[in-house]
Amino acid sequence: MRFTLINNIQKDSAMSLILKGFLTFIFVYLAADILVMKSGFGISAESVNITLFGDEENYIDPITESSFLEFWHTQIFFIMMILLTLNAIFIRVASSARILLTNLLMISSILSLVSLPLAFYISATFVNIFIATFFIWHGVAAYMIIYSFWKLNAKSV
Amino acid sequence: MQKAYKLSILYFLLFSLLLISSAVMLFEHKIGFSFNGVLEYYIGNEEKFIPAKNSSAILKLILPHIFVFGLFIMVLMHFLVFTQHRDKKSTIFLIYLTFITAILELSTPFFIIEGFEFFVYLKILSFFLFLALIVYISWLLLHSIVYK
Repeated sequence: MRFTLINNIQKDSAMSLILKGFLTFIFVYLAADILVMKSGFGISAESVNITLFGDEENYIDPITESSFLEFWHTQIFFIMMILLTLNAIFIRVASSARILLTNLLMISSILSLVSLPLAFYISATFVNIFIATFFIWHGVAAYMIIYSFWKLNAKSV
Repeated sequence: MQKAYKLSILYFLLFSLLLISSAVMLFEHKIGFSFNGVLEYYIGNEEKFIPAKNSSAILKLILPHIFVFGLFIMVLMHFLVFTQHRDKKSTIFLIYLTFITAILELSTPFFIIEGFEFFVYLKILSFFLFLALIVYISWLLLHSIVYK
């Protein structure tokens, strides 16, 4: 992460462009993630409940434990890598609220990930926590991307 | 190192622990930690309706892991460069050991399906050693960030 060591990113046109390209890709990933989750796992309490526990009336089987664990395992890796890199850029360009937003982003995403197995193994009420934190961390990440983009276009960072 | 970067790394370590937990749960559920569990997962068991794995099925399974293991080790270990562990010989040893253990963890299934049952033990050992190394490196980073 060489960009963390450059004094003025804005003056380094190549690095600035690379970071803006990367931010664009993360933004597209987040949007695609919501769409894929909506069509697959669900992004409302009702649809997530049906995915996890099935629906007898409509003859929908619940997700198997094996599929659930694979999904969870993959999600953890992708989210950790995306948020680490996004947060590193945001910290580099932001001048205020860095700690607050870092905490909000990371805590909400970790809560989102932890609430999934808790919902699957312990209680369906954790589905609501998953939904809420899922949208919080996506919202905070989107804000970080837009803010970082704006700061990279500013005269000095 | 700036406070915000330290915070970011601390959260990364938390994610790493979560990743390890999910890996252990997945391994336990799909394969199991016993000798027979690992052996049957790869060479199959007709009585239990477990199909045998062939080399292409294993390759398909480990393909994303090859990239992910390399990336994850690189990201986690490069944080050590920013700590007092940077120039220690033990760090070099740790880097070698982590990469070799990861390679062993990925490659042992090929030997198991070829009939070398000894590699079942190596598979289990390398799996736990790899996770233990990640926990140890995380501990080194945590200690460096919090107490130094």
